[in-house]
Amino acid sequence: MTAASAFFPWMMTPADLERQWSDYLGKLAHVPKALEVAKKVRVGATPSETLYRVDKLRLLHYVAEGKPRYQTPLLFVFALVNRPYILDLRPGKSVVGHFVRRGFDTYNLDWGVPSDGDRFLDLEDYVERYMKDVVDRLRDRTGCDQVNILGYCMGGSLSAMFTSLHPEKVKNLILLAAPVDWSNKDHLLARWTGADVFDVDKLIAVYGNAPPELLQGSFLMLKPVSTLVEKYYSFYENLEDEKFLEDYFAMETWLNDNIPVAGETFRQFVKYCMQENRLIQGRLRVGDRVVNLRHITCPILNLTAQEDHLVPCGQSLPFNDAVGSADRTSISFPAGHIGLAVGSRANRELWPKVCDWLAERTDECEG
Amino acid sequence: MVDYTGPASGTDPFSRFWVDLMSQMSGAAGRAQMGTPQEEVSKQMRQAFFDSWAKYCDDFMRSEAFLGMMKKSMDNALAMKQQVNEFLTKALHENQIPARSDTDSILLVLRSLEERVLDRIERLSKRLDGLERGSDVSSSIASSAPAKPRPKGASK
Repeated sequence: MTAASAFFPWMMTPADLERQWSDYLGKLAHVPKALEVAKKVRVGATPSETLYRVDKLRLLHYVAEGKPRYQTPLLFVFALVNRPYILDLRPGKSVVGHFVRRGFDTYNLDWGVPSDGDRFLDLEDYVERYMKDVVDRLRDRTGCDQVNILGYCMGGSLSAMFTSLHPEKVKNLILLAAPVDWSNKDHLLARWTGADVFDVDKLIAVYGNAPPELLQGSFLMLKPVSTLVEKYYSFYENLEDEKFLEDYFAMETWLNDNIPVAGETFRQFVKYCMQENRLIQGRLRVGDRVVNLRHITCPILNLTAQEDHLVPCGQSLPFNDAVGSADRTSISFPAGHIGLAVGSRANRELWPKVCDWLAERTDECEG
Repeated sequence: MVDYTGPASGTDPFSRFWVDLMSQMSGAAGRAQMGTPQEEVSKQMRQAFFDSWAKYCDDFMRSEAFLGMMKKSMDNALAMKQQVNEFLTKALHENQIPARSDTDSILLVLRSLEERVLDRIERLSKRLDGLERGSDVSSSIASSAPAKPRPKGASK
C-alpha cells in the first residue's frame, strides 16, 4: 500500500488498476458461458398436468410422488398482470414445491393471456365465473366441500372478493402481498394511478386491453435505479457464478413475460379499487353483488413484504381488521414483492412456517 | 416536496442532485477506515451514489412536475393512438373489411345475449325449484293425511 492510498483509500494504485483489468477480462471470457446458461434456462420446478381448460384459463395440478396427506385441496390464484409460474420458478425457489412436499393436493389457476376478444371480461367474469367454476370443479373432484386458497398480489385481492362472496367454499385463505386498502395515496404507484393523473377509461377505450408494455414499464420505473442500473451491475459482478446466472435468467424470463390485462377488468380494478378504494369500504360490486369483507369468517393468514415497492404493507394489513374471521394471523417478512416468493431467505424461513400454519388448519386424509 | 419547476440556480434541483451525489460518495470514502481495500471503498462509494440517485429519482417521480408531464405525455399518446385507430377503421370500412369496432360490437351483442340466456335459465331454474318444492309439499301433505278407506270390493 502506498502512502497516498493509505490516506485516500478510494484512490487507485497501478496494482489496483491491473487487478481490475484482469478481473474485467476474466468476466469477458465468461460471456459465452453466460449466453449458454441463458439458452438453457428452464422455468417451472414441479411436474404438473392440466386438469381443466375453459376459454384461456387452465387449471394446473401439481403431481406429487405419493398420495396427498391433507384432504382439502390448495388453490393458488395469481395476479392477472404476469404469468403464474413465478410461484414455481426453479428448484429451491418454488412456493408450490413447499406445499407439494408437505402433502397438500396443490393446484394453480393460470388465467391465460387475454386477446382483443377478451377486452370486455370484467371482475364478475374472473371472480364469479372463472374462479367459482374452478373452485366448484375442485370440490367435485376431491369430494371436499371447501378449498384452501392462496392468492398472490392482485390474485389475493380477487381471492378476497371470492371468499367474501362464497365464504362457505373456502376453508383457509392465505394472502401474499395482496392489496386491499388504497386509502394511503403516498405510495408512488398510488400517485401515478390517481384519478387526476391517470385516465383509465380513456386508456381502455383506446387500447382495449391494458398493454403489457405499459404495465411492465410502470413497474420498472417504480425503482429505476435498482431495476435499470443496479441489477445489471450485479449481473456483471456475478458473471462467473453459474448458480447466480441460472436464477438471474429464470427471473428475467418471468419479468419479461408480460401479458395484457383484460380491459374492463383493469378499468374496474384501477377505478373502483385503486382510485375509489371501494373494496375495503364494502362498496365494491362484483356483478350484482356487493363484496363485504366481513363475510369472510375462515382462518386467514396475511403475508406482507417489508420492502415491497409494489404493494406496501399498509395496503395489505388493514385486511385483518376488515374481515369477520376470529383466526387472523399476519406475518411481515423482510423481503421485496417478488422476493417473498422466490427469495432464498423466504424459502428457508417463511414458507415452512406457512405450511405449518395451513397444516394445523387442514384435516389429514383418513388411512 | 422538491420543486422541479423553478429556474436553474445554484440551489436548483439539478445542481443540488449532483452536489448531494458527490458529497454522499466522498462521505462514503471518508468513512472508510485506513487500510480498507480500495475495491471495498469503491463498492461503498458506488452504493452511496446509487442510494442517493434512487432517492432523487423517487422524489422527482412524486413531484407535480413529473406527474403533470406524465399525464400530458399519456394524453398525447392516447390521442395519437385514437387517431390511428380511427384512420384504420375508416380505411378498413372503405374496403368493406371489418375493423376492431365491428368485432367489439359483435362481442357486446354476444355478451348481452349470454346474459339474457343466463337470466332466463336462472328464472326457469327458480320456477323449477318452486314447482319441486310445491310438489314436495303436496306429496308430504298427501302422505301425512289419513288413508282413505278402500272402497268395498276394490281389488288389492
